[in-house]
Amino acid sequence: MAWIAERRRQSRFEAVVLPHLDAGYALARWLTRNDADAADVVQEACLRAFRYFDSYREGDAKSWLLKIVRRTSYDWIERNRPSEVVSLELDGDADSPVHDPPAGAVDADALLESRSDLRRLDILIESLPPPLREAIVLRELQELDYRQIAEVTGVPIGTVMSRLHRARAALRRAWDGKGCG
Amino acid sequence: MECDEARPRLEAYLDGELPETERVPLRGHLKDCPDCGPEAAALERLRDEIRRSAPVHRAPEALRSQIRFAIRREAAASTPSASLRASGWLAYAASILLAVAVGSGGTFMLLGEQQTDTMASEIIDSHLRSLLATHLTDVASSDQHTVKPWFGGRTDLSPPAVDLGAEGFPLVGGRLDLIAGKPVPALVYKRRQHVINLFVLPASPADRSADLTRRGYNVRHWDEGDLGFWAVTDAAPTELAEFERLFRAATKG
Repeated sequence: MAWIAERRRQSRFEAVVLPHLDAGYALARWLTRNDADAADVVQEACLRAFRYFDSYREGDAKSWLLKIVRRTSYDWIERNRPSEVVSLELDGDADSPVHDPPAGAVDADALLESRSDLRRLDILIESLPPPLREAIVLRELQELDYRQIAEVTGVPIGTVMSRLHRARAALRRAWDGKGCG
Repeated sequence: MECDEARPRLEAYLDGELPETERVPLRGHLKDCPDCGPEAAALERLRDEIRRSAPVHRAPEALRSQIRFAIRREAAASTPSASLRASGWLAYAASILLAVAVGSGGTFMLLGEQQTDTMASEIIDSHLRSLLATHLTDVASSDQHTVKPWFGGRTDLSPPAVDLGAEGFPLVGGRLDLIAGKPVPALVYKRRQHVINLFVLPASPADRSADLTRRGYNVRHWDEGDLGFWAVTDAAPTELAEFERLFRAATKG
């Protein structure tokens, strides 16, 4: 009767995890910056999620799926775009909020300034280094709270706050200087 | 609260992460402070602008179907295959029977509906795939003496292929499809420009028939003898009902 158990597992997976497919796709899309690649990543991530489904405990299915989508996205980029691979560790990450980008931090500003189409926020977000980009996308677009972002990205809450701060500072500086602070 | 306390708390405040005890004094400070007030407003503008201007990425419908299909194939593949080829089918039919039996008991209606839904969803996915790819038919013929033998040797089931062209539902051919990782014969009919896929599975001993609409497609299920039939189309439900009636009448004799 293994078939029935498997069938149940599949039904439960579809009911619990697949409602968050849009969220997973959006994250993959922001990380890969390409529709077709995002589709590949999400399909692979869902299969991974299905295989690991036994490790899912009742709880936050969205964060659980996003965590797998994130991991799959970076694996995919490493496999298919080796030139693009960047460290997921940011210099200057700290366990406590940092309120000025420390010297030697990944230069998000320089990255942003190399773009000519600096007026569109979505392009600015895509230009952020992945650790800052994923933090801002998860917070502002997926509306996850700090604890969930920490869970999805596997860093302490202090690091989440620091990355959000740096992402916002970089976006504000690049985005026509409105209310620079 | 002073600026040097307020500033590090601004973003947590706007993110809704500041504890109540700190929110009130911070709000007071923002109202009065000529620096921190506008700073908070600027951060809010940035957030609103991000939410307003960033594109909303949604998973395309085709990806959704693909993923459901891939997961079902995975589920089917990971079931340890017994030596009897039919055993998978038997268990599958049994699982549906179980769900339907429990469902008709009333108490666990949801489970039964969920299983019927799962099957209907699977049928619709196969229907969509058949329309997307150039794979509507493996054998294109309106002649039942061509279509029926074609399945011989390809599947254990012998689907009753009858042409209903005179009644407005011409048989256009047959196809071997995959449902839950198992090869399933599909008969292909047309109703004007609409395609009707008729999947033929081993009958589930539960004699509950189904008539549902999901994702804009109409699905009907009935059993006849040893065979279970699942018909799917984007033609109207009344036309599908008519199709069932004609098909059953033509195959009974």
